[in-house]
Amino acid sequence: MKKLLEFSGIDPERLNLKWVSSAEGPRFAQVVGDFVEKIRALGPSPLGSSTAKSANAL
Amino acid sequence: MIEQIKQHVKALLSDGKIFAFVGLKDQDGNVVPHLFYAAEDVDNGFSLGEVKDPGDSRYPISRIAMTVLAREPEKSFGVLVRGCDDRALNELLRWNQINGSDRVVRVGIACPQELANAHECRKPFPDDLIAGEKSQPVENATVSEVMSKDLGERLAYWTAEFNRCIKCYGCRDVCPVCFCNTCSLEEDKLIRTGDLPPENPIFHLTRAVHMAGRCIDCNLCTEACPADIPLRTLYKKVAQIVLDEFGYATGETGEGKSPLNILGPAPGHTSAND
Repeated sequence: MKKLLEFSGIDPERLNLKWVSSAEGPRFAQVVGDFVEKIRALGPSPLGSSTAKSANAL
Repeated sequence: MIEQIKQHVKALLSDGKIFAFVGLKDQDGNVVPHLFYAAEDVDNGFSLGEVKDPGDSRYPISRIAMTVLAREPEKSFGVLVRGCDDRALNELLRWNQINGSDRVVRVGIACPQELANAHECRKPFPDDLIAGEKSQPVENATVSEVMSKDLGERLAYWTAEFNRCIKCYGCRDVCPVCFCNTCSLEEDKLIRTGDLPPENPIFHLTRAVHMAGRCIDCNLCTEACPADIPLRTLYKKVAQIVLDEFGYATGETGEGKSPLNILGPAPGHTSAND
């Protein structure tokens, strides 16, 4: 999936796939927190500005 | 070449090896798919899909074969196959959409080199060839062309291509390996419906993901697309990823499931369509 995103011009770093068990609450919070930090650092998605339509959608 | 094929099909029909033959027929100047029941019918307009040039009328014939095979679950059918149809049948067997490989008698023809070049075909001939000369496979150049751009250019390229989409679903409807009863592309919760162009790149990337381990690289989608979107380039990349990650070459003969088909029975057991 990351490779496909890369091919279509979207930074693969914007996708994060992690396996977290329902028993791992703290880990889930950690994973989500880390990813939010990462996305903040990457800034707004280029898809937002590429078309008006996708700007509405995102 | 056509005479050889006709003789072969006639023999299959008169020997009772097949119940009918899924082929092409020249009808009032148009080539259409046709089911030949008797050896005499073969003399009446049998075609290999040539209107002006070889292969200018291609159909998802394997998909048509899938439909007739499901309708007559006890009978065997002959099918006219090019390299791409051959791969599609292999994939439909693996996905349990055709029940029993012995029920499909493939009558293979090779595509001429000009057709192979026009469609950047990786294997312009089926495994078993009845007539015709094998043409040279054509190297995949379109994927590396896109890969040579940087990330921003790629996004701009695909955005421009995707935004021409008129959402006719032609790519899906012509696809020989699109057999699902319900389609994610029409699911409002996944992709907003009623928008033109459709929500992009979600619409086209969703279809691309669903082509993983299925797309057999026949180029019918790109040919059918009224907006000339190079969909096949996208699916070629997907097939490349499936090959790199799972070592699965889509469309080749063999036992076992496609890597993204983990649910349901193994090939040859039961079919959703049977």
